[in-house]
Amino acid sequence: MTAATPPPSFTLVLPDDTQLSGPVVDLRGRPTAPPRSALVRAVRAGGPVPEPAPAVLGSPPGPAHDHVGLLRTDRSFDRRAALAALAAARGVQTPHDPALATARRRLRAMSAAPLDTSELREARRRAAEAGSQTERLRERVATIRGRVTALRAANDDVDKRVLEDAEDSLAAATRRLSEVSTRRVAAGQRLALLEARARNARDDRERRLRLEDRIGNLERAQRDARVAAVAPAFAAARDRIATRVSTGGDTVSRSTALTGALAAARLAPPRAPLVVAPDVVALLGGVAAAADALAAPLLVR
Amino acid sequence: MLLVVTYSRRARETLRNACRAHEETVVRRFGRAALLRETEYGAFLACRLRERHAADVQIQRTEPFNEFADAPDSVREAAVAYEQRESPNTPYDRFAAGTDHPPSAAMRERDL
Repeated sequence: MTAATPPPSFTLVLPDDTQLSGPVVDLRGRPTAPPRSALVRAVRAGGPVPEPAPAVLGSPPGPAHDHVGLLRTDRSFDRRAALAALAAARGVQTPHDPALATARRRLRAMSAAPLDTSELREARRRAAEAGSQTERLRERVATIRGRVTALRAANDDVDKRVLEDAEDSLAAATRRLSEVSTRRVAAGQRLALLEARARNARDDRERRLRLEDRIGNLERAQRDARVAAVAPAFAAARDRIATRVSTGGDTVSRSTALTGALAAARLAPPRAPLVVAPDVVALLGGVAAAADALAAPLLVR
Repeated sequence: MLLVVTYSRRARETLRNACRAHEETVVRRFGRAALLRETEYGAFLACRLRERHAADVQIQRTEPFNEFADAPDSVREAAVAYEQRESPNTPYDRFAAGTDHPPSAAMRERDL
């Protein structure tokens, strides 16, 4: 553990430009100080932020900060997630790391095979339209042909002009049908071509999906390994913290969310300040004792 | 039926949720694919998936395969004969050689 080196200092810049520095900054005497949530935001944002928010200048937060950056008595603690983040912060390596890095690199290198779906959609629409148009015209041609046949059969009783008109419109409808049928064939071919292209693009997507699944599995395995790697140290640190907390006055169960968060905070390499509520400081026996117990820069608010 | 196949994690997740919420419309579920009933509601779900995930969703309309209507007699008979062969280790082409059954290469090249 890094308890031998003092925790890194940081500077808190309040909205009124007051600057406070140190490994520990205590805001308990300042009722106008920004709320805890604003301080946590400032720590995570790092560096200057748009006014009038507070700013924190110092080391950037590590991977565990999400889980240990705010220590309150009423907090929740996701043990698995926190231990995985803690292991990452401590640079724990797992046997899955190289495979995961390779898989992620391959995924990044994979182009997302841009597929113009609007083109395919338009082709589907055209093919459908050409299809129904052809059907309509085919029916129309059949109707007119029936009429022409009837007119021819009744040859003598029919005005020649009426028969000619009917034959003309049959010829026109037939011509139109052949045009539309040609268009239907073309639309069908175009759709088939685009669908074949989409099928090829799906092979790429299939490979991509398989790779994403592999990454998901590796991430789970990495997480398990990370949690397992720090679990013993975490259990020991939690026991130690629980002892400190109980000797500080109140008795706190060893398994509460707070002792878990405190233990994880203690084990995380000290970087950005942790925002600590005054009652937690009191439970640990004061600011000096808290700084000692957590071995991290603190912002008491 | 409508066969819906997904090609991304998000599309697969949407399909999974849709299947869970609309069991009456789902005939069968397989991992990242599902068979939807051919109702307007099945089409509605399919259209929604296509609308949301575009190229990550493939939708096919399936029909039952009738070997007596959809396959040539020679193909169907070859399949029956081959499944009834005496020696289970004979590859199809050796089995078909010297008979009237079509060679596999020829069948591969002919569309139904």
